[in-house]
Amino acid sequence: MTSTHGTAPAVEFTAAGKTYGAVRALDGLNVRIHPGETVALLGPNGAGKSTTLDLLLGLRNPDPGGRVRLFGTTPRQAVTDGRVGAMLQSGGLMEGVRVRELVALACDLHPRGYPVDQVLEAAGLTGIAERTVGKLSGGQEQRVRFALATAGASDLLVLDEPTTGMDVTARRSFWSAIRSQAARGRAVLFATHYLEEADEVADRVLVLHRGRLLADGSAAEIKALAGVRRVSFTLEAVPDGIREAQLRALPGVSEVELAGAAVRMRSSDADATVHALYALGLYPRGLEVTGLGLEQAFVALTSRAEQGGEQTGERSGGQAGEWTGSAPSSAPHGTTTPTTDNAHHKAATK
Amino acid sequence: MKTLVRLEITRTLRNKKFMFFSVIYPPALYLIIAGRNSTAEMPGLAIDMKLYYMVAMAAFGAITAVLMGNSERIAKERETGWVRQLRLTALPGRGYVTAKIASAATVSLPSILLVLVTGAAVMGVRLEAWQWVAVALCSWAGSFVFAALGVAIGYLATGDAVRPITMLCYFGLAFMGGLWLPSSSLPGWVQDIGEWLPTHAYIALGQAVEAGDAPHAGDAGLLLAYLVLFASAAAWLYRKDTRTA
Repeated sequence: MTSTHGTAPAVEFTAAGKTYGAVRALDGLNVRIHPGETVALLGPNGAGKSTTLDLLLGLRNPDPGGRVRLFGTTPRQAVTDGRVGAMLQSGGLMEGVRVRELVALACDLHPRGYPVDQVLEAAGLTGIAERTVGKLSGGQEQRVRFALATAGASDLLVLDEPTTGMDVTARRSFWSAIRSQAARGRAVLFATHYLEEADEVADRVLVLHRGRLLADGSAAEIKALAGVRRVSFTLEAVPDGIREAQLRALPGVSEVELAGAAVRMRSSDADATVHALYALGLYPRGLEVTGLGLEQAFVALTSRAEQGGEQTGERSGGQAGEWTGSAPSSAPHGTTTPTTDNAHHKAATK
Repeated sequence: MKTLVRLEITRTLRNKKFMFFSVIYPPALYLIIAGRNSTAEMPGLAIDMKLYYMVAMAAFGAITAVLMGNSERIAKERETGWVRQLRLTALPGRGYVTAKIASAATVSLPSILLVLVTGAAVMGVRLEAWQWVAVALCSWAGSFVFAALGVAIGYLATGDAVRPITMLCYFGLAFMGGLWLPSSSLPGWVQDIGEWLPTHAYIALGQAVEAGDAPHAGDAGLLLAYLVLFASAAAWLYRKDTRTA
């Protein structure tokens, strides 16, 4: 695994674990990220996201046996070489200085720093360059952190929950700035618990849960992996003998809800399900096949992992609930169970 | 690294409240302790009271400014995460320590000068021109040692522990080193320890100059050793912090 400097992956975790006392924060992570990739690190609080980023940036060392390399070298060396730009969630700012002075410092410290004005402009800070750092709003502070992370020509950009405290407009312009960074061939790794961000921005999503890598793929693949596509239709004339059990037996179907003539199913292979539906001699009306959001996929994945996992003492109720705070509100009538419950139900029936 | 040094100095100068009290406090204390027109001889010393306390108070004031300022600010910066952010730049560990010592030196210089001006204008201290310059330089250079100690303490302690630890070092060093009372008036065992403290060597530099001598090489050597010790400890703690916190 002694890759040369030029072809080495931007990030390489090899059996990297981290234990704090009795807590296994990260459990043997194996991941490679290549230049040009935009990767989301997704997981609830306590999933190991911050530990992963700390190891990645050399702020902590992995437990013996594990290894983290950036561009074929140690994280500290990569940071010293100016190959990594990082925006920390907990990154405090120097107090008592002006925005421009602080950004100028970052540009100066970077071995291949950009001109200050250019960095300020890209971060949308030109208008507040003369303001004192201590007097900024949360969103403005985040922009300053972004400026610090992009003060020079780094090859890897690491962002820990970067849009916390930003409003929707700010968030949008932030991600467009990130996209332009990625377009320059940089690897971008960001931790988030905004699932739509992972869905929209990343070309690859790593799902982390309880220190383990649950899934690694495109957002679409993650959704497919969790078996979540909703197939819904109505049956105007329900033929005799058609039972829920028959629908449940269709290929790919993991869940069926019948409410009068309305049918809602979840399927991991919607094409096969629909095909088999017609084969049963049914004529579904208003057939809709919709991909569920990454959010539901995520809940399904994590709760499945929890059911199958070693820890049964703590059910995922609270955790999943935290993730789906807004999801259950879409239940117009009694047939739709809240997502959280669905996920549990589904996992339980496995 | 130069930019960081400059920025640290700039923002120290901007902190007007801190500057004001750090600068005013030592000469005020000098006036109170030594009293006006005090020509009382100091036991076992070649200089009188106002000379003794001019150097002692210049030292005490400088230590106050650099030790308290550095340790608390650094502990705070570690808590807010600024140090963490700074660690993700190419800045070497010694760069941070250097910048902190430089900003501390910015505060200590005016307070030292003000004590000397008070000595000349109010207390009637008369010295040769070279002695004034030498006393000022010795007092200033010696303060770097305590600035480094401040950085080390800022890295050693966190949150609520910073102030007590700083105070303990501050009062212990000041008292046992003879800043408040001449060493010769302290108990024997305190004198034995005091001789090896950086504070003792610190004021010995200025006292030698006041007596018309060059600073003793032994004192300068001891201070240099402490500077290396504290600065290395600070750099080591910075790296250790990187590993565990």
